[in-house]
Amino acid sequence: MTTPGSRRTLVARRLLGALPLLLGVTLVSFTLTVHFGPDQAWELLGRNPTPEQVEQVQRQLGQDRPFLMRYGEFLQRLTRLELGHSQASGESVTGLLARTVPVSLLALAPGFVLGIALALALALAAAWRPGGRIDRLCRGLSSLGMSLSVVITVIALQAIFGVWLDWFPVRGWAVDNAASYLAHVAVPTMAMVAANLGYNLRFFRAVLVATINEPPARTALAYGLPKSRILTRYVLRAALLPILTRVVFSVPLILISGSLVIESHLGIPGAGRITFDAVTSGDQPVLMAVVSLSAVLFVVALTAADLLARLVDPRIRAA
Amino acid sequence: MKAPATTHKLTAGGLRAPLAVIAVYLVAAAGVWLGWWGTDWSGIQASGRQPPSPEHWLGTNLLGQDIFSRLLAGTATAFEVGLLVSVPATLLGALVGAFAGYFPQRWPDAVLMWLTGTLDAIPFYLFVIALSYAMRDHPAAMQLAMIMTFWTLTARIVRAETLRIRQLGFVAAARVSGLGSWQIIRRHVVPHTVHILLVQAAILFVAAIKAEVLLSFLGLGLQDGVSWGIMLAEASQEILAGHYGNFVAASAALLLLVLAINRMTDELQRSADPRSRGSADPAARHEATRA
Repeated sequence: MTTPGSRRTLVARRLLGALPLLLGVTLVSFTLTVHFGPDQAWELLGRNPTPEQVEQVQRQLGQDRPFLMRYGEFLQRLTRLELGHSQASGESVTGLLARTVPVSLLALAPGFVLGIALALALALAAAWRPGGRIDRLCRGLSSLGMSLSVVITVIALQAIFGVWLDWFPVRGWAVDNAASYLAHVAVPTMAMVAANLGYNLRFFRAVLVATINEPPARTALAYGLPKSRILTRYVLRAALLPILTRVVFSVPLILISGSLVIESHLGIPGAGRITFDAVTSGDQPVLMAVVSLSAVLFVVALTAADLLARLVDPRIRAA
Repeated sequence: MKAPATTHKLTAGGLRAPLAVIAVYLVAAAGVWLGWWGTDWSGIQASGRQPPSPEHWLGTNLLGQDIFSRLLAGTATAFEVGLLVSVPATLLGALVGAFAGYFPQRWPDAVLMWLTGTLDAIPFYLFVIALSYAMRDHPAAMQLAMIMTFWTLTARIVRAETLRIRQLGFVAAARVSGLGSWQIIRRHVVPHTVHILLVQAAILFVAAIKAEVLLSFLGLGLQDGVSWGIMLAEASQEILAGHYGNFVAASAALLLLVLAINRMTDELQRSADPRSRGSADPAARHEATRA
C-alpha cells in the first residue's frame, strides 16, 4: 500500500479530483466579473456614443460571441496569465499584482502566522488540562475574538497606538528599512492576530482534546513519555489534517477580508487596496484577475493541504 | 418526531442571560419598526460632535445627527439583514442537503456537492463584491449575495445527517407505504434536522450581521439607511479627532449582540447534540463564522 506507485496514483487522483472544482470557480468568476461585470465597451467609448459605435466596440471586444466561446477564451488567457491592463491606470494587471501582493504579504502575513502559532500553543496547553486555568482563559479569549469584528479592532488599534499612545504610524506604508518596516507592520499584525486567534483557538482546542483522548496519545501517556514528545509526535501529527484544512479555509476568510479592511483603512498599497479601488471604479480586468486567481489559488492550496496531510498520515495513505 | 430530550434543562441553564440580551435588542428593533423611536436618525438636530446630554443621550455625530437614534435604527437594520439572510439561507441549505443526502452517489448529489465546493472555494467577500457589481441596480444585492453563499455549510451538515436518517426504519416505512421521495424528504427528513437548522440559522444570523458591518464600513454594503457598519465608517474619521461616541456606541452594540447569540448557539448545540456535551463543541463549526 505504501509503495511509491500507489503514492503516485493518490497524487494523480487528488489532482484530477480538483479539476471540476477549478472549472466551477473559473466559471463563476467569469460569469460575475466578465459576463455581468462592468461593461468595457462603455468604458472605452466617449460620452453619448451612438448605438452603432457601441455595437462596433462590442464586436471588437468579442462580446457578441456565444457564452461558451468567451469562457473558453477566458480560460486560455487565465492559464497564460494574460490578465489585460487596468482601466484606471493602464498598468498591466500582472505588474500591478506583482507590485501589490508582496506589500500585502509583508503587512499581513506576520500577523496571520503569529495568530495561528499563538492559537496552536494556547490550544495545546488548554487541551492538556481541560477545565484548567489556561483552558478557561482560552474559552474567554475565543468567544471574545469570535465576536469582535475586524472593523472594530482596526479602528480601536488605530486610536490606541496611533492617536493616544502615538507609538506607531497608522496611515500609509513608508517602508525603506527594517526599523520602518517594524513600525508599520505593528498595527496590522495586532489586528490580524485579533482576527485570527479567537477563530482558530476554539477549533484547535476541540480537535486537540479529541486527539489527546484517543488510544495512541493515551497509551503514550501511560508509557510515561515526556509531555513534549506526546504533544508533537502523537497529538499534533494526528490532528494535522483538520488543522491544515482549517488554516487553508481561514486564508480567504481572514486574510482576504483582513486585507480589504486593514489596507483600505490604514492606507497600505497592497492587493486588498487595489481590489477595493477596482470595485469602486469598476475596473473590470483587475476585479476579474483578483477574483479568479484567488479562487484558483484556494483550490490549489486546499488540494495541496489535503495531499500533504495524506502523505504524512499512514491511516489515510492506506485508504 | 423526537424533540431534543433536554428542553427543560435548556431554558433553566445557561440560555437565560443570552436570551435576555437578545430580547432587549429585539424590543429596540421592534420599536423602530413600529415607529416608536429611532425614526429621526437622519435629521440634523444639533451642531456636530456634541457630548452626551439629556436631549442627545449619546451625543451627536460629525454632522449633528443623534447617535442614540442612529444606534436604535441600526439595531433594526441588523435584525433585518440578519433575518433576511439567515432564514432563506438555512432553508436553502436544508433542502439542498436533504436532497443530496437522500440520493447519495447519484447525479443530483454529485452536482449539488460540486456547487457547494465551488461556492466555498471563492473568497466570500470577493464573491459578494463581484455579485453586488453584477446586480448593481438591485437594492438587496448584498443580501442576495450572502444568501447565495451562506447556505453551503448548512447543506453539508444536513446532507451528512440525511445519510444517517435515510437508513432508519420510519423512512423505509414511509417508502413502502407509497410516499414519493419529495414527500419523504419534506415530511420525514427535514423535520428531523430542526435542531441543526436552529443552530445554523443562529450562526448565519451572526455571520450576516458581521458581513454587513464589514461591507458597509467599506462603503460596499447598505446603499441607503443607517447601520452599525455605517456608524463605524463615520467613527473611523471622528476618532482621529478624539470623538469616541459613535465608535463606542456602534461597536458595543455589535459586540454584545454577537456575544449573546454565540453564547445561545453554544448552549443550543450542546443540548441538541449529546456527543458534543462535555467537550467544547463539535468540529461542525468548522469554517462557520465567515467574518
